[in-house]
Amino acid sequence: MPIFDQGYQHWTGHLSGHAWRWLAITRHGVRVGMQGRVFRTVLLASLLPAAALAFALCLWGLVERNSDFVAPIVQFLISSRLLNPAVVADPRHYRVEIWTLCYNLFLSSELTLSMILIVLVGPDLISQDLRFNALPLYLSRPLRRIDYLVGKLGVIAAFLGLVTIVPCLLAYALGLLFSLDLTILRDTYRLLLASIAYGLVIIFSAGTLILALSSLSRNSRYVALFWLGIWIVSGIVATVLQSVDQVQRRQASFNRAMASPSASPTPQTLPERRRPRRGGTVTHRWSSEDFEAEEIEAAKTNWRPLVSYTANLSRVGRQLLGTDACWRTLSELEPAYGRKRYLHQYTGPQYPWYWSAGVLAGIFGLSACILSFSVRSLDRLR
Amino acid sequence: MHSSQSRSSGLPASPMLFQFEEVTKSYGAVVALDNLSVAVPSGAVGLLGPNGSGKTTMIRALLGLTRVDRGSGQVLGMDFRSRQLDIRRLVGFVPEDECLFPRVVGVEFVAYAGELVGMSSKDSLQRAHEVLDYVGLGEARYRKVESYSSGMKQRLKLASAIIHDPELLILDEPTNGMDPAGREDILELARDLARNKGMSLLFSSHLLPDVEAVCDQVVVLGGGKLLTAGNIQHLKHLHNRCFEVRLKADAAPFAERLSALGCTAEIRDDSLLVQIPEGRSQQLLWEVAAEQRLQIRNLRPQRSTLEEVFLKALEQA
Repeated sequence: MPIFDQGYQHWTGHLSGHAWRWLAITRHGVRVGMQGRVFRTVLLASLLPAAALAFALCLWGLVERNSDFVAPIVQFLISSRLLNPAVVADPRHYRVEIWTLCYNLFLSSELTLSMILIVLVGPDLISQDLRFNALPLYLSRPLRRIDYLVGKLGVIAAFLGLVTIVPCLLAYALGLLFSLDLTILRDTYRLLLASIAYGLVIIFSAGTLILALSSLSRNSRYVALFWLGIWIVSGIVATVLQSVDQVQRRQASFNRAMASPSASPTPQTLPERRRPRRGGTVTHRWSSEDFEAEEIEAAKTNWRPLVSYTANLSRVGRQLLGTDACWRTLSELEPAYGRKRYLHQYTGPQYPWYWSAGVLAGIFGLSACILSFSVRSLDRLR
Repeated sequence: MHSSQSRSSGLPASPMLFQFEEVTKSYGAVVALDNLSVAVPSGAVGLLGPNGSGKTTMIRALLGLTRVDRGSGQVLGMDFRSRQLDIRRLVGFVPEDECLFPRVVGVEFVAYAGELVGMSSKDSLQRAHEVLDYVGLGEARYRKVESYSSGMKQRLKLASAIIHDPELLILDEPTNGMDPAGREDILELARDLARNKGMSLLFSSHLLPDVEAVCDQVVVLGGGKLLTAGNIQHLKHLHNRCFEVRLKADAAPFAERLSALGCTAEIRDDSLLVQIPEGRSQQLLWEVAAEQRLQIRNLRPQRSTLEEVFLKALEQA
């Protein structure tokens, strides 16, 4: 074997310090992740909502400047009932609301796409190292366990940051440029910070969770299935629980209305149902307006969305962005009789946001424990 | 090997490669290292011992992968309890098990190993090409590592361990499960690194010929204790009164005559092992040969094999 053809030369270069050693793992993970064609396609598709966000903010900048260029588009949005004419009449007054709702819509769609990105790149991160017994190669080098884990988390952070935080920053800059109004900074800097904070919540929560799952198995497919279970199945279970609860409440509300003859109909009463009672002709009224009021009240203590992982992320995100407050402001533009319906339609679960924050903190803690246990137990040479 | 400064650390060179002072490490009721004290000078050092003797625990302790219960020590002049990361910068390690960074080609594997030690991307890639050429994997550098044979994987691990030009290279059972050609390749590389490139080696193996082929020093562990340590040539001491004799003719009459004169003569394959009684010298052998008109083709003092040294150390333990 010609092993000495080249010869061995001593190396006299410089070794960097320990502080950024995790970055090597992140760089490597990003390189490996980008090798997948499917992943690259999904990553590219994940940038489409970002383009839509940038377009929306630029459009609003032009609306604020009364640009004729966007008049047809605005007219179309008004005629489609996507935009209230009162908002267009004073666009600067509703700037925060419009920007907030755009960011909320963008981050909601990116939340779903992030889950897909994670299922494509996350399961391999630790499970493949376990499968190919790579941990001794890492830990026999000047790396601590925390460097290894931070490096792996950095891979998730790089991809999710690219589709959440980076677009928020770029769209903000574009919106600023198109509005040519520096007061926008004063009005919306909180929104920018909130969107970054929400992006970080998604990254840290989902990142640690997928790493923990990845450290539980040497088979990436099982990890991916587990992740899909947490994401989709928990969402389905939460939806079913909510539906059952809603049906029960609707039935209870209806039964109450049947049990007591109603007062005279109010002007707000919209649909009504008449059901002849057996052996009588007494008319009972059951107002959907009343039911919606009950729904809004019940939503304040409805814990069922907590079962869904993404619903928890979404609840924290809406709180950070202040989405519900914006909907309430916009609901003021609706006729009085339709406000509750409007709010019921557009606002999400109203239970205290810290319930969801608590659930996410619990999942984070559990993930950290699993990672600590799994990687520590492999901190050995076999 | 080291003059006044160690090669890459810039630290004052330690006369000792590593030293342990009363180091104890237990795993529950099992004592892996039992009050172990040893000082090993620079050079190629073989680490010998039966299974469960504490070799792996010793390597773990050297790399700072395990905390010892008691005792202190230094590796390359640095306290192994507090400066693990600094030590690992100067140490290259080739694990026994098959372990790979998955989904990469050979050159990426080695370059990644360099980046993990702290080399820049550019340096590590350039150096990866150099060391892959050195270990004879130049042609396979763009192949996925999962497709490598066992021997190639072993050389790949060696390349990734020496990419940052470590002062100490730890090889844990590097020839385990390899075919003779692959084994010879690894031994040749290890020998070259130790003898020609000035790299200190800790060569853990239970294959004594491998250790003997590569190392100058040996440390023998048993039950977590030091059984013996030192220069291999010194350990394979000369036996003053024992000689290995080769004759041109049949050795049986020669052996009989020597036995009659009070010697112990044992016929081996093609030689005769003779122990001369107290008060006589090797001149006796020449005299008997002359008397019987036999020609001595080879006469040399008997030297212990490393295997004998090893077994003797185990017996004494």
